[in-house]
Amino acid sequence: MMIRLILILLAVPAVVLPLLSLGYIFVQAAPWFSVTVLLGDAQQHSMISSGLVPQIMGSLLLMGLACALAFPAALSLALFDMIYANASQRRVLAAALQLLQGIPPIVYGLCALVVLVHLFHWGISLVSGALVLAVVILPLLTENIMHALQRIAPEQTEAAKNLGLSAWHIVVRVWLPVAWSDILTGVLLAMARALSETAPILFTATVFSGVSLPDSIWSPVSSLQTHIFYLAQEASNKQAMGVAWVSAALLLLLVLGLSVVAWWLRQRRLGA
Amino acid sequence: MFKRFIYMGLVASSVWVLTLLFFLLQSSWAFWHQIGVQVLWQDEWYPYEHLYGFLPAIVGTLWALCIAMLIAVPCALAAAIVNSELVPRQVQPWGRVLMEILAGVPSIVYGLLGLWVLLPFLQKHLNLLSGHSLLAAGMMLSLMVLPTMMLMAEDALRAVPLEQREAGMHLGLNWEQRLWRILLPQAYPGMRSGMILSLGRALGETMAVMLVVGSMDRMPEPLYNILQPAQTLTSRIGREIGEASFGSLHFSALMACGVVLAAMALLLGRLAQGRAR
Amino acid sequence: MNSVERCDVLNAPDVVAFEHGLACHGVSLCLGEQQVLQEVDVVLPNRGVTCLIGPSGAGKSSLLRCITGLHETWTGDIHIEGQSVRHWQGGVDALRRQVGLIAQKPTVFPTTIEQNVLFGLSRKEKKSLGREGVQHCLQQAALWDEVAHRLDDAATDLSLGQQQRLCLARALALKPSMLLLDEPTASLDPRSKASIEQSIRALAVVMPVLCVTHDLVQAQRLSQYIMFMCAGRLLESGFSDALFQHPKRLETREFLCWSVCDCSASEEK
Repeated sequence: MMIRLILILLAVPAVVLPLLSLGYIFVQAAPWFSVTVLLGDAQQHSMISSGLVPQIMGSLLLMGLACALAFPAALSLALFDMIYANASQRRVLAAALQLLQGIPPIVYGLCALVVLVHLFHWGISLVSGALVLAVVILPLLTENIMHALQRIAPEQTEAAKNLGLSAWHIVVRVWLPVAWSDILTGVLLAMARALSETAPILFTATVFSGVSLPDSIWSPVSSLQTHIFYLAQEASNKQAMGVAWVSAALLLLLVLGLSVVAWWLRQRRLGA
Repeated sequence: MFKRFIYMGLVASSVWVLTLLFFLLQSSWAFWHQIGVQVLWQDEWYPYEHLYGFLPAIVGTLWALCIAMLIAVPCALAAAIVNSELVPRQVQPWGRVLMEILAGVPSIVYGLLGLWVLLPFLQKHLNLLSGHSLLAAGMMLSLMVLPTMMLMAEDALRAVPLEQREAGMHLGLNWEQRLWRILLPQAYPGMRSGMILSLGRALGETMAVMLVVGSMDRMPEPLYNILQPAQTLTSRIGREIGEASFGSLHFSALMACGVVLAAMALLLGRLAQGRAR
Repeated sequence: MNSVERCDVLNAPDVVAFEHGLACHGVSLCLGEQQVLQEVDVVLPNRGVTCLIGPSGAGKSSLLRCITGLHETWTGDIHIEGQSVRHWQGGVDALRRQVGLIAQKPTVFPTTIEQNVLFGLSRKEKKSLGREGVQHCLQQAALWDEVAHRLDDAATDLSLGQQQRLCLARALALKPSMLLLDEPTASLDPRSKASIEQSIRALAVVMPVLCVTHDLVQAQRLSQYIMFMCAGRLLESGFSDALFQHPKRLETREFLCWSVCDCSASEEK
């Protein structure tokens, strides 16, 4: 009986604290939610009051481009693992993915700083940030796609092989129709991850001031994540704090929205 | 054709990743070559005077990780046990869903909370100057790794077969005895890999730590003082990379910090893989 | 019908009194939408092996699980040595220590052989049992000769038959007053089967043993008393010689015939 009590006492903060934290953000952001904050105040000309649309667009552009770059790579890695790899190659791939997943994202940011921003002279740009985010989410996305493909019943693949279908046909006509929702779940989770990463894009893709919507992929962007970071340093400015809370709430809504959709997709598959 | 596409993707990914990692090492090479490995145990970091001691940052990182694990491990394990054993069956999936969703919360959001909520709290109740401290960093990190650790611990508990639990019941063992003698020993390997994984994530966390740790590159005085502003590897990189000009020794030093960080992460990864067998 | 009347029907002189031991009255169990047990009345002699036979799904294993409290929603009465199972002194855990249940699939814990035998005991009890006690339990389970020299080896290295005997030794270490066996030799080879049957016979001299089995030849070999269940009901019970030679009910006759036919067909092969 004592042990149960102690366990429950220890378990409660594990559940309650993260929930409280999220609740606090929404509660703090609520009074500041207004059209002026979102779209910008034309009369004031500070970075704090120029609206959040460029930041939202920047975050979404980074996320979208990163996923567009990572998805073909992850798909080919997963397909290689399922179709062409022998046992030792599969082991090497699994070990490599685990290794890559363990490297802190800021280290990838440093690498990208050296290679993309300076060596390739791409400068601080959308494409640099997207490429580094792509590397950060690549192991996660690859594993998700591999899990999705592994869930396909092997009898279906065998039946298709017995009919003489080539690998391409098997993937497109047998695997994709069955596994598409799992793959989509994996992509959504990778997108949520891409939205959450701040450190790698801090010095490869984003600047604080002077940015509206990017002209091209070679220009710097602003993002919700980094915007929050910059505003957080201005704790004395009440308006900065308000905009920061709203940015955090927006970012949370985006990430939670993606997670909820991913969860719903998984439930749908389990229910069916 | 299809095969060619797959192999192209494989090669492109490998080349890309290897290039990135190669240049990380290459750009820090100048630093190791010029200053040498002894910076790892020197304790003064003044880039403008060419003093590059890594020790304060390494010690700070280790302290933050320790605190994070001390808080997170009992709470996460307890939550896993409660959700898989004590909570009614209908409620259990909701606990998992909640944790899965919480696991995806961006770290900058936690950083904001840490800066504006935790620091004033610590400042007031522990009588500190600003609240910036390793304790704050550790507390933020524990909050961030709690959901993931709880999920992995719960998976490990559920993996213990029903027959084992029933065999315990047949012997007349009550719930606590079954927990200590059957469930926990058999779930321990899975729980341990969950802990190591979370440790890796906490190691690499930058934004939240950067905002609350204080970025003071000095050794804690005395060594166990976690209430002073201090520095971690990730926080140092994040703070100073904007200031260091490309190609300078300072820049190389920060790249070297990245190498140390990656090495620590790889070591953890090896530990996890080695024990898993 | 009380226990004495049932005994009268068969009237054997060497049967000990039926009142002690296990008695179930009107036990019913409903799982989901299925009525698994319907008004089962069981009285077990307090020595000797009683075999519970019947087709799959008859509710035999469910009855065992009701006795030890693994199913909790049953209605009716179950008494062991006069005490009601629902209000057992010390709770359901104490009940399970008194009633040793051996499951069909041998489940050993991932520790040493000796630790497995001692697993259900408290620290004090472990000390007082000691090596001699472990040896005694393993001897009762007919396993001592095979593991005497390697008590510190992993229990998972044992063969299935040895593991099942280890489970028996583990249950015996708790000094139960009766044994419930749920198809204990179902997945074992003939040699292990014979070994376990030998142990069961020896144990049945001092305590009641209720053994669920699908193997009618084993039931004939092993038991003094037989109970036949079908579709959740106890249809017939009696001394095993009498029941096998002169089954009273049609269902029993059909069941025995089918099974007997199967056996002789396999013998002819």
